[in-house]
Amino acid sequence: MRLWPRSLAARTALVLVMSLTLVQVAGLTIHAFDRVGLQRLAQTRDVGVRLMGLYRLVALTPAEQRESVVHELDLRDGLTARLETAPPADDLMPTPQEIRRPIVVSMQLVPVPQPQRQREVVMLGMPGDGRLVVGLRMADNRWLNMSIPMTPPRLWHSQAFLLAFVLMTVAACLLTLWAVRRLTAPVRTLARAAEALGRDVNAPPLPEDGPTEVAVAAAAFNLMAARIRRFVQDRTFMLTAIGHDLRTPITRLKLRAEFMEDDEMRRKMLADLDELEAMVAATLAFGRDITTDEPVTTVDLAELARTVLDEAADAHAELADSILYAGLYHLPIRCRPVALKRALTNLVMNALNYGASAQVTLLPPVAGLLTLLVEDNGPGIPLSELDRVFQPFHRVEPSRNNETGGMGLGLPITRNILRAHGGDVVLSNRPAGGARATVTLPV
Amino acid sequence: MLGFMETPIAPNAAHILVVDDDREIRDLLARFLERHGLRVTAVRDARDARRALLNGHFQMIVLDLMLPGETGLDFARWLRTEASGHRQMGLVMLTAMGEETDRIIGLELGADDYVPKPFNPRELLARMRAVLRRVGDGQQPRHAQIAQLWRFGGWTLDPSRRRLLSPDQVEVPVTGGEYDLLVALVERANRVLTRDMLLDLLRGRQAGPFDRAIDVAISRLRRKLEDNGRHAQLIKTVRGGGYVLAAEVERL
Repeated sequence: MRLWPRSLAARTALVLVMSLTLVQVAGLTIHAFDRVGLQRLAQTRDVGVRLMGLYRLVALTPAEQRESVVHELDLRDGLTARLETAPPADDLMPTPQEIRRPIVVSMQLVPVPQPQRQREVVMLGMPGDGRLVVGLRMADNRWLNMSIPMTPPRLWHSQAFLLAFVLMTVAACLLTLWAVRRLTAPVRTLARAAEALGRDVNAPPLPEDGPTEVAVAAAAFNLMAARIRRFVQDRTFMLTAIGHDLRTPITRLKLRAEFMEDDEMRRKMLADLDELEAMVAATLAFGRDITTDEPVTTVDLAELARTVLDEAADAHAELADSILYAGLYHLPIRCRPVALKRALTNLVMNALNYGASAQVTLLPPVAGLLTLLVEDNGPGIPLSELDRVFQPFHRVEPSRNNETGGMGLGLPITRNILRAHGGDVVLSNRPAGGARATVTLPV
Repeated sequence: MLGFMETPIAPNAAHILVVDDDREIRDLLARFLERHGLRVTAVRDARDARRALLNGHFQMIVLDLMLPGETGLDFARWLRTEASGHRQMGLVMLTAMGEETDRIIGLELGADDYVPKPFNPRELLARMRAVLRRVGDGQQPRHAQIAQLWRFGGWTLDPSRRRLLSPDQVEVPVTGGEYDLLVALVERANRVLTRDMLLDLLRGRQAGPFDRAIDVAISRLRRKLEDNGRHAQLIKTVRGGGYVLAAEVERL
């Protein structure tokens, strides 16, 4: 059952529209009953007075002229009258009391002198029959038999009313929807702000205006964002400070190594220092806000990917034949080239380190989103690790030397960079074997 | 005492001014460079550097950007704009690791090269030698090219940011080695450059067999410049082992 909508706006609107409909129906019912009563009163009074008026006219006429008067009467609105010797003969049922009584009462409103008063009243039919047949026995025992149209009271009396009612209801529903959307807008704003904060800690604060509750929520949200920002800044400062402080001793050590006599020892020491430097660089890259210090430019992503592969082939000459590029030859996108190159390099180096091969495929953009695959022919990634590899300092296996010094920061950095570009990266295993990193980026 | 053989410093050896606030690095770097045949004066900050510039004649300054007092960037700006006697001097900057902005500003200020700290001493030396050669050649020093662009065959080379722009202004990524190679070709457009000359320029950038590296880098550059290898129009192969950039180069 999906009758109960999911969104707050739709739920509120539904409740409001339903109560509105209920109130409308109740009000309309009361109005209709009231109207029926009023109509019946007016109708019975009208019928009674008209019938009695006719009777009075006939009764006050001298007996010998009555026949011709009845005959010549100019009656309107379906009223007919005949002077007969018997009460009206019709197949209609006798009129029910609740209609007969008010008509009889109304008849008494027309003054008729006592001698000419009717001696007996026969009333047949009801509103449902469309007419009422009334026979009045006169003093001379003749019957004045009359027939008058009588329609059941209507709940409303014009088509315009129905139209107006529908219009009113539709307008009320639309107003409700509009008001509800307006009222729930702050919730959506808050959700968007939270989402933006997830992407960029320096996202602009929420405006703290609007209704009290909304303003309070916005202020609380801004305070939370500020605390997160300070936390991130502290972490960045700390990591940057450590990185900077380590630069000096590493530089000294590299210089000292140059003065070592033992070539083999010097080579090894420099290799260790390079590794140490790579670790510091990776920590710094992870700690700092990658997005802030590089301008956005238009770059050919296809060429960027091929440059990354060229450099990988230079660094791993023995694997050069397993490094392949496929897909688009040119694709200009707006990005931060140094950061993006680092992200792609990390993925390619992972493919080479764990899969001893790297194939990059750049697919044409679909709906404003491009897809770039980095695949290898290695053993793939255990299912339980697919998501955990994105955690900082997490390693699938004690790692070999690679670009990030094997600290388990390559993938987290890659994902940070891609998310900062509005994209993402997910890992999966290829059906044919090997791992696949699927990079998506907005064009 | 370390027992290596000191290379005697030739009387006409290039004189280098090293500016770094860390005493150990200063001394070690001076010894390292002297060992490789350069004359070195090492000072700790911009003030001492100015004093040294008054008294000596230097071919190059190796400048750390993080200095106490006046920053390296400010000093570099002064060097390139106001110190009229020292504009021909080579300038190599030591930048903080991964500080992209420092690097860009440094190059815009007219640094001839930059080396991120912690540097590999041999790479620093190779880069310094490349700059010295350029300065010694009497070529236009880098500062004369500040905020200038090269344009050739529709392509744009932007030295301040070390980037290559396609005819429709899309940045085409190039590696450091490819960039240097392209600059070498562009600076000497329509002149044949032998492999040896190009090797000289690329030394310190590339690992592995240099001969192959040049050919590989050229073929990659051709791909990036959409210059078909068989019928290359921009970078032509010259019989007997050389390359030439066959295009009119415009300075903007």
